[in-house]
Amino acid sequence: MSERTTQFTRSLGGLFHRAGIFGAVVLILAIGALVSPKFLTAGNLLNTVDSVMLLGIVAVGVAFVTYSGHYADLSVPTTMAFSGVMAVEMLRFGFVPALLAGLATGLGIGLVNALMVGRLRVNPIIWTLAMSYLTMGVMRWLWSNQQIYPDVKGGDTGAGRLFTELYRHEVLSRIPLPMVILALFAVAGHYVLTRTAFGQQLKLVGSNPSMAAMTGVRMPRTVGLAFVLSALAASVGGILITSLSKVGAYYNGEGYDFDAVTAVVLGGVMLTGGRGSMLGVLGGVLMLGLMSNILTLLGVDTFAQRIVKGAVFLAVVGVSSLLARRMGRDDA
Amino acid sequence: MTMHKERITSLLAALDRHRIYVLLALVFAIMPFVAHGFGTVNNLTTVLKSSCLNATVAIGFTLVLICGELDLTIGATLTLGAMLTIGLQPHLGRPGSFAVAVAAGALVGLCNGLIVTKARVNSFIATLGSMTILQGILYIYSHGSSVSVTGPADFRLADFLEKPLVPLLTPRVLITVALVAFAQGVLTWTRPGRNFFLVGGNRETAWFSGINPARYVVGAFVVSGAGAAVGGALFGLSMCSATPNLGASCLMDVIAATIVGGTAMTGGKGSVLRSALAVLTFTAMFNGFNALGFPSELKILIAGLVLALVVIHEAAAARRHEKARGRRPMLMEELRRKAPPQERES
Amino acid sequence: MSDIGLALQLEQVSKRYTGMLAVDGVDFDVRAGEVHALIGENGAGKSTLMNIIAGAFADYTGRILIGGQEVALHSPVAAKRHGIQMIHQELSLARTLSVAENLLAGRLPARLGILDRRALRAEARALLQRVGLDSLDPATLVEDIGQHEAQLVEIAKALGNRPCILVMDEPTSALSRDEVKHLFEIVRNLRRQGLAIVYISHHLPEILEIADRVSVMRDGKKIATREMRDVTQADLVEMMVGRAAAADLYSRKARPAPGKEKLQVRGLTRIGVFHDVSFSVRCGEILGIGGLAGSGRTELARALVAADAPDAGELLLDGCPVRPKRLSDAIRLGMAYLPEERKTLGLALRLSAGENLLAALIPRLTRRCHYSARRGDGTLGRLMGLLQVHPSDPQVTVHNLSGGNQQKVLLAKWLAVEPQVLILDEPTRGVDIGAKVIIHRAIEDVAEQGRAVILISSDLPELVSLSDRVLILRHGRMIREMPRESLSEEAVLLAANGGVGDV
Repeated sequence: MSERTTQFTRSLGGLFHRAGIFGAVVLILAIGALVSPKFLTAGNLLNTVDSVMLLGIVAVGVAFVTYSGHYADLSVPTTMAFSGVMAVEMLRFGFVPALLAGLATGLGIGLVNALMVGRLRVNPIIWTLAMSYLTMGVMRWLWSNQQIYPDVKGGDTGAGRLFTELYRHEVLSRIPLPMVILALFAVAGHYVLTRTAFGQQLKLVGSNPSMAAMTGVRMPRTVGLAFVLSALAASVGGILITSLSKVGAYYNGEGYDFDAVTAVVLGGVMLTGGRGSMLGVLGGVLMLGLMSNILTLLGVDTFAQRIVKGAVFLAVVGVSSLLARRMGRDDA
Repeated sequence: MTMHKERITSLLAALDRHRIYVLLALVFAIMPFVAHGFGTVNNLTTVLKSSCLNATVAIGFTLVLICGELDLTIGATLTLGAMLTIGLQPHLGRPGSFAVAVAAGALVGLCNGLIVTKARVNSFIATLGSMTILQGILYIYSHGSSVSVTGPADFRLADFLEKPLVPLLTPRVLITVALVAFAQGVLTWTRPGRNFFLVGGNRETAWFSGINPARYVVGAFVVSGAGAAVGGALFGLSMCSATPNLGASCLMDVIAATIVGGTAMTGGKGSVLRSALAVLTFTAMFNGFNALGFPSELKILIAGLVLALVVIHEAAAARRHEKARGRRPMLMEELRRKAPPQERES
Repeated sequence: MSDIGLALQLEQVSKRYTGMLAVDGVDFDVRAGEVHALIGENGAGKSTLMNIIAGAFADYTGRILIGGQEVALHSPVAAKRHGIQMIHQELSLARTLSVAENLLAGRLPARLGILDRRALRAEARALLQRVGLDSLDPATLVEDIGQHEAQLVEIAKALGNRPCILVMDEPTSALSRDEVKHLFEIVRNLRRQGLAIVYISHHLPEILEIADRVSVMRDGKKIATREMRDVTQADLVEMMVGRAAAADLYSRKARPAPGKEKLQVRGLTRIGVFHDVSFSVRCGEILGIGGLAGSGRTELARALVAADAPDAGELLLDGCPVRPKRLSDAIRLGMAYLPEERKTLGLALRLSAGENLLAALIPRLTRRCHYSARRGDGTLGRLMGLLQVHPSDPQVTVHNLSGGNQQKVLLAKWLAVEPQVLILDEPTRGVDIGAKVIIHRAIEDVAEQGRAVILISSDLPELVSLSDRVLILRHGRMIREMPRESLSEEAVLLAANGGVGDV
């Protein structure tokens, strides 16, 4: 390759990484405006944001796993479902115990993942896949394939009603609760990633795991924590999605694993690890939401949207890995 | 005493290496006594018949794993195979639709292989993406409901495929056995077959031996796609209908079976025959559980559990191996002799 | 001027890396039926020379003749086609495959597309016989055979390609005495069969035993080629070291006498790696550890900082027993280990110089869960200045730095934690002279500040000029301690080779 072309790909790659996802968001906003006059209305845009709040919460968690160089957490959907089901089941003891039970479920799954991937260094994809089937099996077995309903499980304590209204609860009677949680998660995630020892060490782990180990980073703990955070975010998302759908079921959260990874990768977190930001992840989530909104306005059904999503995912992953190689930065 | 210990260690290692035969024997030895009706010819035929789909899919999947890659699209590809075979029958006839289905599966594999080798995207990630695309296509094609043969139904072929020719063996079972045997033969007895192992075992060595590893990886993905499509198509032909979630549970079952069958996730090691036998073992086990009155949900749990245990077992073995690496035999030998080290005189 | 007896002939061959002549106008030849040893210290250019022969570079200059014909060895395939086979230090076998398939990889015998297992077995057996592995079943998996056998299989594999020139790079580093003896019988046998063998090694006694001729390289140039019967080990050492070379670079500075004992090591053992190693290092002292590759030096260092768990032994820091369980504990105790592998273990190449430099300091820059890189700015600026890292911008990606500057960043990373005991493993491997001088001065500064330094190095002038004392490791045992007075490159080299050290 000639000097000039190299230069060109390099600056292109630099642009790709720096301007990142928000250039793409602006672009897609423009496309959306062209496609439909309904697109650039406050109502529509708010709806778009509303539709991806849960995805955002989950993606913040998954971002830690991807950032650590462990690709993805495929146990996210069943973690969501299990947390929701556990929360609903525990509603009989009241509202707060139910939420705690849901979070504890996520924490438990996260800890198992942490132990296996962090300490035993099991292949993360295979392990989280096994974990998802395991939890799926447990759920379907214990609840015999049944859905469970918060208002039934809550009895007449009122906990059931509280639970089903959780998702629609508005903080300061204006801002939806999931929005607040997402904002909190994103800020906290950004802080953890950039301003804590854990975040810095995770960057080392993602960039060069052997170097991190020889620098005194406690690998089992650091990698493990990434999986625990992912599972915790998933369980919060799971409780909210259960509240939204008003039913605890094993299939809640289906597809969230792939969507979250897509958002994370779209947002510029490289699959090779150690690069990316929470802001980018939010951009990626927003991008997915806008894309699906435009496609819906165009009359494309959800199944066809999956195709587009998959194609975008492959394109982003392929292009970014190609660019990273061209820039000679992935040989570490 | 050490001799005794060593003998036990090597016995355990051998047991581990041939674990699938042991497991198969155990299942077929125990189940007839505990599960009522397991041992009847009728039930055993059912076991064999219901192993066919996953066994066919496991062929290509094992090959991809031998190359050190992973193919998550098999479930969606087999559904694609089944749907195309059934859906296109009115237009192309049976042979035509079958051929198109298999070609479509091979095309999926080709795309996967090219993404993995050309764009050098990790195969887990690449096939995760193509799986999503494929699922979207399937739902659009089927409108989310099952596809069945339309028009004047002709169930003769389906009946033929499912009726035992000789006790236990239906034509579909025989075809599956033939496919597994052929694949195993190619992998064991031909030069290209052995090269797959070399590519998975040490890609650089393969390259220096004049083998193009990328070509073999793409080949493995094509076989995996085509194999999954064949499995699905045969299933479709014998059932005369296909549902969009046909292959949903297949991925996990096949991964579990392949790894329990002794194929290494790190590549270079594996056997199509053992994968197929592992599929048979799992099917027989679940069949027995059904007869015992276990809820069917347990199946998912157990498949997950078995996979988890095997994965942990292999990770632990790898760690032990790593710990022992770098320990030089000569120093161990010296230690055993308890003699002071003798220096070479110059 | 071609000579039929010469299998391989190099005339005025040079190879330039960016700014540096790694091989400088070397003439070299091997006759058929001869073992020609190539020796020299690390960085002398012998591995570059061998890589030229193996076809790793397309841009060498000079002429290469094989059997009297000039050839272009611009790719590994070209080298192979001309009958050159190289046996590398690290093995290139596929572990999950059988010995037979490894031996005949890429050219498995087949008849009508069907693998001819009998021929495979027979051919493999024949090859194994040539290296004396008659008893090894060709169907055994490589992962089930020992390292010694794997080494011989590697040789057999090379022989299978019918080479006329065989290059062996440190083939004995992992072998025991009996196994070396066995290997030498095979090498002699191959010589009788008319092969030309280039034998690279650090082990001088082995070279004296096996080689017919020897060539010595130093600083990219060939110093001499001699008939083996005309030289002694002492001669070789003298040629390798080169008395007057770079005298001012390696002038020994006088340092104040070391203080009290900082770190004591008692009976440290990792079974099968090193055994019963005891020593101590004082404040303000630079303790050198010498030994050949594979003597257990790196492994010892890793065990000291708990990167690997030792099986027995204890550490005393300032007289108090300490028991670090993992590397982070050791760092907290004031120990630091600079690993040998700069690019894989030392640095994250795609991160910036600043991020790398502060990597080990992360826990200390964190207060109440708040990490601030700004707290490290002082350290960063001071060390970048002290070590004269160029460019001095800490934002530069390490990947874009030269080897010398990368190494400076790596040293700075460990100086940043202000260790009480600094363990350095090959601190100047592959760096230019300028960087070397700066790094040496920094090491001496650390000692002068009253901290203890343990220096592992194969660079003998470096080891001898910096160290106050040198310990010699051989086959995982501490065999000698050499005080500063008796230190000389020759003595260290002899001792590391197991000879008596008083030249």
